[in-house]
Amino acid sequence: MNMLSLVTFAPLAGALIILCIPKEKEKAIQAVAFLFAGISLIASLAMLPGFSRGTHEMQFVERFAWIPSFGVQYFMGVDGLSYPLVLLTTFMSVIALVGSLGIEKRVKEYFFWFLVLEVGMLGVFCALDLILFYVFWELTLVPMYFLIGVWGGPRKEFAAIKFFLYTLTGSVFMLLAILALYFASTGPAHTFDMLELAKMTGGWDRHFQILVFLGLYFGMAIKVPAFPFHTWLPLAHVEAPTAISVILAAVLLKMGVYGLLRISYSLAPLGFQWFLPALIVIAVINIVYGALCAMAQTDMKKMVAYSSVNHMGYCLLGIAGMTTAGFTGAVFQMLTHGIITGALFLLVGVIYDRAHTRDISAFGGLAVKLPVYAALMSLTCFASLGLPGLAGFIGEFLCFLGAFQAWKLAATISVLGIIATAAFFLRMMQKVFLGKFNEKWADLPDMTARELISIVPLAALTVLFGVYPKWPLDLMNVTLTHMLGK
Amino acid sequence: MNNLRLLLPETVLATLALVIAFADLVVPAKRARVLYHLAWLSAAGVLAWIAFTMGDASTHGVGTLWSVDPFSQFFKLTTLLTCVLCLLLGLDYAELPENQAGTFSALMLLSTAGLMYLVSATDLLLIFVALELVSISSFILAGFERGNPKSNEGSMKYFLFGAFSSAVMVFGISLYFGATGTTHLAASAAAPGPMLILGLVLILLGFGFKASLAPMHFWVPDAYEGAPTPVTTFLSVAPKLATFAALARVFGAIFPLQAYDLTLLFSIMAALTMTIGNFTAMFQTDVKRLLAYSSIAQAGYLLIGLAVGTPLGREGVMLYSFVYVAMNVGAFAVVQAVGSAKGSYDLSAFDGLCKRRLGLSLSLMFCLLSLAGIPPLAGFMGKLYIFSAAVQTGQWWLAVVGVLNSVVSVYYYFAIAHRMFFKEPSDDAAIPVGAYIYGGVAVAVVGVLLFGVNPEPLIAGVRASTQILP
Repeated sequence: MNMLSLVTFAPLAGALIILCIPKEKEKAIQAVAFLFAGISLIASLAMLPGFSRGTHEMQFVERFAWIPSFGVQYFMGVDGLSYPLVLLTTFMSVIALVGSLGIEKRVKEYFFWFLVLEVGMLGVFCALDLILFYVFWELTLVPMYFLIGVWGGPRKEFAAIKFFLYTLTGSVFMLLAILALYFASTGPAHTFDMLELAKMTGGWDRHFQILVFLGLYFGMAIKVPAFPFHTWLPLAHVEAPTAISVILAAVLLKMGVYGLLRISYSLAPLGFQWFLPALIVIAVINIVYGALCAMAQTDMKKMVAYSSVNHMGYCLLGIAGMTTAGFTGAVFQMLTHGIITGALFLLVGVIYDRAHTRDISAFGGLAVKLPVYAALMSLTCFASLGLPGLAGFIGEFLCFLGAFQAWKLAATISVLGIIATAAFFLRMMQKVFLGKFNEKWADLPDMTARELISIVPLAALTVLFGVYPKWPLDLMNVTLTHMLGK
Repeated sequence: MNNLRLLLPETVLATLALVIAFADLVVPAKRARVLYHLAWLSAAGVLAWIAFTMGDASTHGVGTLWSVDPFSQFFKLTTLLTCVLCLLLGLDYAELPENQAGTFSALMLLSTAGLMYLVSATDLLLIFVALELVSISSFILAGFERGNPKSNEGSMKYFLFGAFSSAVMVFGISLYFGATGTTHLAASAAAPGPMLILGLVLILLGFGFKASLAPMHFWVPDAYEGAPTPVTTFLSVAPKLATFAALARVFGAIFPLQAYDLTLLFSIMAALTMTIGNFTAMFQTDVKRLLAYSSIAQAGYLLIGLAVGTPLGREGVMLYSFVYVAMNVGAFAVVQAVGSAKGSYDLSAFDGLCKRRLGLSLSLMFCLLSLAGIPPLAGFMGKLYIFSAAVQTGQWWLAVVGVLNSVVSVYYYFAIAHRMFFKEPSDDAAIPVGAYIYGGVAVAVVGVLLFGVNPEPLIAGVRASTQILP
């Protein structure tokens, strides 16, 4: 059974079926979308018992020649680095679909693009051939362009094209780096096989690896987004519809960090080493500057968007540590950031749907009126600011732990970011939920069942991973330890 | 005249063209459409003939002024394919005068025959005659909408610029003759020297006119905008690709550009053509002009493959050419349908197209995405091939200019997508789409998707037809 192909292409089948359904039958379209995203989720969970935690080797491997005359293969496989991200993607896609039920405009096209987007995201995490990887990587662009541009906020069209051009600029340099790797590969024929290429890195000189690293980094950094390439993110996140913000934050940003670990680190190790001092600076800027920017926002969604810049900084910090703890922290942080920030965007969407504003100072004392909402929001904010006992803490702690040995000063400065993060989340909670009740919102209803269905699982996982992180950590440990060669 | 039989297919096509031109005199005006059908069937027949005899070595060989080899056969296929598709589009183009169907289709076929001679030519005499055959029929075709001032203007500019570049080319040929004492293209006859190289450069400029390479591209937007849309489609594909085939023969096989220090010139021309095409296209509001500049930029990408001067580069040019037929014809077919229905080719004619014609909008978007080189569409495979050829030889800057240009191109291709998918329709007028347009679009989109997802058969076909006989 080709599980990975099933996981990846089930949504594509759904998308094609949706194309054939008349656009008036909205219920049927939604059902098909759920069905096929559900198949993907169930299939990815079904791999869990068969997934061995004790090996760093690729599992569930599928390979056959795709374009033999160019050495391109259809080569899929997962290990402890990618499998958790595959689970995250299938899970968050279903959650985001629940959040998408409120879409009323052009339903057919929305779910079509959504499912195509899911194919691209899953493919990125499963592909082990560089061209296949690139194809999936680019496959996310067009759906995202339409999802932001048609269903987004007031400046959606600008946000959509900015997102597209920005990411494409990065990825074409990645393509050139991929081609350079291809022609540098030795053996009977050139290859795009990541695993084969990783074995050849010893034969490439440092100068070449630095250039390749820079090409790859340019593509990845824009996706992460690492300072100074983060400017597309606040715009795209704010303008995108709620469910798409969730996907952007939960999965798309992870593609960048994943690429750094899977491709840049393994295929250009000397370039990676050379870049470390710069990477640590970028990480610190992301953390501190991202947090300060978030603090300056009055729009809740924009604040959450900047908090993503801040959280991705932790990931970079962990990676730059080049220790098992750091790598584990970075991957764990990816998972928890996906879950927590996904929940935050959904929660912001909940209040926006009711009040049609996201201005922090427009509210006050909402905790009285919306107790369930206030409770969930507080939990998620606390998780995001890294309160021990919740999932966010584990990742951040491991990132700091991993980075501290090598970069004491940088880690120390980054702690300021944590304080700033705490400050802006607490300030937001204070202004929105506490204080005098703003009578303007006297008839706001509390959360509906549909909203609870989308957010409660995320909140539950936040607590679960905070209390018992061993389960996800076990999935990734062996692979990450092996990657560091320890 | 050795081996004249090798040119039988194009000669048959030219004869059929003349038959159709004369049939025009006897066929009553209201039945003139039958001549279109006759024309595309003739082209399709010759296409099938060549396609089925491609692997047959007895159809290959060297003649007095020509050599017929797998390489030339490949480009005859692209030319004929374009011709068939454009004639089909012509069937659904209402602005063409019914009573001149014979003239129109005969000129299309003659132009096609000229291009077929061109891709096989190994002598400057034949090259020049073939180019003139193509040019003169194209001048008339471009001005075919006599009531339309833009068509007249475009045709006139095209003619003047064409005459000028012919003169440049003839001057180049005379220098070549002076340096070598022959018009036959063979490296052995030529002692490398300034006169020979100047001659070659002027010949290159002559080719550059047909292939719309900067700095010989100025006629393109006006001629494309004014010409009847099926003709625009034809001009943007067939002559361009056939000229690239001739360029590959002259500057790839006979006078390798590395040996004559022409690599840098080619690279600069490629970079200029891409950049000028893309950056000017960004400011266009007329879709035909926009696609005209886009086709200039596309010529720039193709030229990278030649500038690289390796087998991989040549394969890249061939692969990209084939894919380019599908994506450009597909894009123009949709543009023709919308433009004819709205009576205007302004960008605003595309407002809200997806609400009225979702299939048509998606098809156009697939073709545009393919032109921009977004995977998993066929255009990506073409660009991948060409850029990898540049990377292989270490021509990094050319590859970087190429990929950056691809990013720029997304901006204006998406200006159309933006109109189709984000705007509201401006009126309720129906957008009728003829059966032949549907057919053309379907062929193009299937090609763009199929060769994007599974390019292997195409690559295998290209690899089997790279041989150029001296």
